[in-house]
Amino acid sequence: MDQIRNFCIIAHIDHGKSTLADRIIQACGAVSDRDFRDQILDSMDIERERGITIKSNTITLDYEARDGRKYRLNLIDTPGHVDFSHEVRRSLMSCEGALVVVDAAQGVEAQTVANLYIALEYNLEMIPVINKIDLPAADPERVREEIDADLGLDPFTAVLCSAKKGIGIDDVLEAIVRLPAPRGDPEAPLRALIFDAHYDPYRGVILYCRIMEGRVHTRQKVHFMYTDAEYQVEELGFVRLKPEKREQLEAGDVGYIVCGIKTIRDIHIGDTMTWAEKGASAPLPGYKEAKPVVFSSLYPMSRDDYEDLARALEKLAINDAALTYEKDTSAALGFGFRCGFLGLLHLDVVQERLSREFDQSLLLTAPSVLYKLTLNDGSELDVDNPSYFPDPSTIREIREPYIRAAIIIPEEFLGQVMELCREHRADETVFGYLSVGRIEVKSELPLGEVLFDYYDKLKNVTRGYGSFDYEIIDYRPSDIVKVDILVNREKVDALAQLVHRDKARPRALRYCERLAESIPRQQFKIPIQGAIGGTIIARSTINAFRKDVTAKCYGGDITRKRKLLEKQKAGKKKMKTVGSVDIPQEAFLAVLRNDADKKK
Amino acid sequence: MEGAGLYLHCPFCSFVCPYCDFAVRRLGDRDLGGFVATILREAELRADWPEAIDSIYLGGGTPSLLPPAELERLLGGLRARLPIVPGAVLHLEANPEDVDDEALGAWRDLGVRFLSLGVQSLDDRALRFLGRRHDARGARQAIARAVAAGFEVVSVDLIFGLPDQDRARWLADIEAATPPGVDHLSCYQLTVKPGTLFSRRVELGRLAEIGDEEQGRFFAFTHEVLEARGFEAYEVSNFARRPDARSRHNRKYWRQVPYLGLGPAAHSFTGRERFWNEAEEGAWTAAIQADRLPEAGRERLEDLDLAQEALLLGLRCPEGVDLARLESRWSFRPSARALARLETFVTAGLLEHEGTRIKPSRRGLAVADSIAADLAC
Repeated sequence: MDQIRNFCIIAHIDHGKSTLADRIIQACGAVSDRDFRDQILDSMDIERERGITIKSNTITLDYEARDGRKYRLNLIDTPGHVDFSHEVRRSLMSCEGALVVVDAAQGVEAQTVANLYIALEYNLEMIPVINKIDLPAADPERVREEIDADLGLDPFTAVLCSAKKGIGIDDVLEAIVRLPAPRGDPEAPLRALIFDAHYDPYRGVILYCRIMEGRVHTRQKVHFMYTDAEYQVEELGFVRLKPEKREQLEAGDVGYIVCGIKTIRDIHIGDTMTWAEKGASAPLPGYKEAKPVVFSSLYPMSRDDYEDLARALEKLAINDAALTYEKDTSAALGFGFRCGFLGLLHLDVVQERLSREFDQSLLLTAPSVLYKLTLNDGSELDVDNPSYFPDPSTIREIREPYIRAAIIIPEEFLGQVMELCREHRADETVFGYLSVGRIEVKSELPLGEVLFDYYDKLKNVTRGYGSFDYEIIDYRPSDIVKVDILVNREKVDALAQLVHRDKARPRALRYCERLAESIPRQQFKIPIQGAIGGTIIARSTINAFRKDVTAKCYGGDITRKRKLLEKQKAGKKKMKTVGSVDIPQEAFLAVLRNDADKKK
Repeated sequence: MEGAGLYLHCPFCSFVCPYCDFAVRRLGDRDLGGFVATILREAELRADWPEAIDSIYLGGGTPSLLPPAELERLLGGLRARLPIVPGAVLHLEANPEDVDDEALGAWRDLGVRFLSLGVQSLDDRALRFLGRRHDARGARQAIARAVAAGFEVVSVDLIFGLPDQDRARWLADIEAATPPGVDHLSCYQLTVKPGTLFSRRVELGRLAEIGDEEQGRFFAFTHEVLEARGFEAYEVSNFARRPDARSRHNRKYWRQVPYLGLGPAAHSFTGRERFWNEAEEGAWTAAIQADRLPEAGRERLEDLDLAQEALLLGLRCPEGVDLARLESRWSFRPSARALARLETFVTAGLLEHEGTRIKPSRRGLAVADSIAADLAC
């Protein structure tokens, strides 16, 4: 156990986490240079492209240190976004130490700080790594100061490297060796932390776990303490580039376990596995269920694709336990699914995977949070879908989720960012200097406000220098109304949304204007209205076209006229009919696309 | 029972108008006798045409270029080869510059009952813009002479929607074109067709079509003015001062009555099939000389096609379409979506219901194409 090191890498997106992981793997000879594929841990294309890691992977490496001893290094990859912080937690719990990567030019960012706080909760030993020292703009000394001031870490333990150029990788490895070895009594009853899982079509669910105490061997019966389920271990071993079968895993080890679990929904990430007989008396602390906080309905572009979408979601959910979905229907859009996501990034990732891996074009309704309602009769109701919003006269109180946002910005943008928070109904905004010229703004604001153009605006006002992170803190009373959009006096259910009363009019107007721009003119004038109940709060109009009839239908040449029908038929396929008005898909896209900012 | 129509396309003009995309060419020093002989040969190839023909329409192009002797040979030959009934109505299109008393007399003697004058405008500026060979004075004289010659129906063709044509000038055109004795009027909106000189001008930015709003206003204005002058709009672009002045021939197209087309680019309809001739005069001639039908294409229409066409064509006329007939004849029923749309059109005042019949209003006529397409799909 002395020669095992379990560690992870904490970094802001783009600070070079994946590249550093690649170099470490390469330096340990786990993969020959010829086979080397950049960013090996990011196994999905989408992660490669976005530069983020969605599913944590893990890998076991062998390293012969300068002290002449051989170490077994378990690198546990962590996702780098706030939406996935529950995954970060599980990963961090499996480690004794962490490399905290900071970009030598960019310095410390909000996300690094957020993850660092979580890491501190688990008493992880941290090594600052200043990456990208080869960049012309690199300023390691300034970054050292930030490490001291913002992160509270000892700047003199910092390792300088350039993962891209392969500079300083040995120093990083030696620093890893200096991390504490795992502790935990191998003779105690088994307690293993399940920190990740994925579905394999041939083997069922593959679990990734860290053995905290005790031992587990093949053919042993095991018990999952949270789900209270029992299985028999079929196979276990170390995770190398190819799985390495073993007979047993023991305290300190990180490895995989196959035990006949059929679907990912049968297990809970973060659960504690123990023996079925004479098992541990209490599970490991810190389990937290991942709960969706952002909801949106997904509809296939073409009604015929519903079955395909259902299959695609099912397949996706096999490896994404945090994704929830249930059938939803819309008069305008037909059958679809109401989905729950961990956050906007998660939503975006799911959408992109569906479109990329399953070739699905989707319409997404405006993202919503979960509102908690108390009705006049005292009953409680949770609503995340405008379709189920009750008659306002029956509601006594509505509460909406609030977040604490941490925004780090250069100080010149303070005024605009404070204003931005105010505009987004922040309850309380405070700020403090992190270091000279750098400010952290902490703001308590409704999660629902962040779903609508907040990131875009933040990026704009800070010219891209602002970084953002958030955690949900509580639910607070709020004046939420349901805004309906009516096209030719018919409600378009898919465009309804729940919004704060103060925001209702501008939001409705924006929808009306965008629809008016993107619905083609028809033979009659079409009013587009936004309404709260029976009160119209916004309006725009699509004027009728006045003439389209061909002047001459002469000499009996009808073939040209029939092209009109063919065009009409082709056009219809791309339209959704509401009442008697055809709304092109582009109109829905134009209205719905920008609601969820997905560029974070 | 109503008989079939016979359309004959004379593909020659002394000059090709810059807005025209029909199958026409300059006559030059061509021998029209040869053309007539080829047409008659084609009529022989079509001798198995089954339906009695009760209207003949000589269109083009400029059929008034045919000398009376050739016209006589043509009509005599057609009557000898095809089942033309004795009382068949004969329509002739004529350009004002070809209209003189001698020609008028000859045409009347040949049995022309319906004479259409390709006047297009009675404004010299507009005529120059349209590239026409005649001037306003010549057009007025042609109209007066035609009226005096005693045809059953004298009709005038006009074009509206010209750049910088205001309502006053258009109204003056209408007034000058409809003196007593002119009982039929065709008012076509200028449409820039691909491949014409006008479309080239549009590409070069030297000509702009008026927008649909303005078109709609002109369309409504035209219909209002003509109604006030006693004309009934019996189709989108066609107006008659009395019911028996309607074009018996053209109505066949809109009512899906069979017709046979002879000449380059002519279209035919049997009630179940459509076929159309080679558009190039050379290809058309070559086929006939080789004893082959000069068809460039042919298609069979299924019930659904016929029902959809019935909507497209029927909604061009104020009497509209009888939905019950579409169902009994072709088992066609509008989709749920189309029915919802139909109600919206009624509410918006574009259509009206009369039993099972739907009839376009004046505003509905102006957007008849898209209404029909909406109801058909």
